[in-house]
Amino acid sequence: MSHTPFILASYLISAAVLLWAALSPMFSQRALLKQLKNRQAHMEKEQ
Amino acid sequence: MNRFILFFHNTGSPPWFYRFSGKLIPWLWLGFAVLTVIGLYMGLFLAPPDYQQGESVRIMYLHVPAAWLSMMIFGLMAIMGFIALVWRIRVMEVLMISSAPIGAAFTVIALITGSLWGRPTWGTYWVWDARLTSELVLLFLYFGVIALYNAYDEPRKAARAASLMAIVGVVNLPIIHYSVLWWNTLHQGSSIGTSGSGIHPSMLWPLLIMAIASKFFYGANLLSRARLQLLKQDHRKRWVRELL
Repeated sequence: MSHTPFILASYLISAAVLLWAALSPMFSQRALLKQLKNRQAHMEKEQ
Repeated sequence: MNRFILFFHNTGSPPWFYRFSGKLIPWLWLGFAVLTVIGLYMGLFLAPPDYQQGESVRIMYLHVPAAWLSMMIFGLMAIMGFIALVWRIRVMEVLMISSAPIGAAFTVIALITGSLWGRPTWGTYWVWDARLTSELVLLFLYFGVIALYNAYDEPRKAARAASLMAIVGVVNLPIIHYSVLWWNTLHQGSSIGTSGSGIHPSMLWPLLIMAIASKFFYGANLLSRARLQLLKQDHRKRWVRELL
């Protein structure tokens, strides 16, 4: 039995899980900061 | 004030923690990247195949560090949860709950890579053996902590409940660790212990380097998640407005 597909699958799946773990807070923070900045700009405009 | 005590005193302040962690994160990512490149090169190209497992031993360079970290993170969550419950330090609550998705991710990696290693080595993807089952229970504990935290609207109440669950759930860690001794399992016993290692240095070094790299990943990812959590909780506070 060739071990290559099992090794490849292990590394690819691990990379995908780690990428999700690493990138999801970065994207969420970027979106949150953008939203907060927009809200602050809107409030300043109203004042 | 003693510099050491001052550091811990400052750590309890969200604005200080946010700024300090922002400076630390790029260095942790750099450490992770450098160690991962070295560890993978040594593990995939320099280390020889195992005389029994053959090439599938290369899965160990992912599986073992992920399994170690999955347990370490839960242990740290219990400690942070205890500190958060006793001293009511909000940054500790945030660090505790931010650790949970990372711990769950490493448990998933440990289970999947273990399963993919088991097929060519044992002839099966899964057996209800004590080590595998207790590791699966650990994954459910991580999900439980996350679900319990999200069940509350008030973040501090949620953190207290999740902390309590992490403290109770820590009982699973010795079960995972000693399962291979307490029960007759298909999973082999520890090759690395306090008395030394039965692994050849050509395989041991990449394994240890990958294990250290995974700790850097945890550090960087934990701080990123904690910063996000603090921003969400404090978005109406002055320090966040000043940050914008």
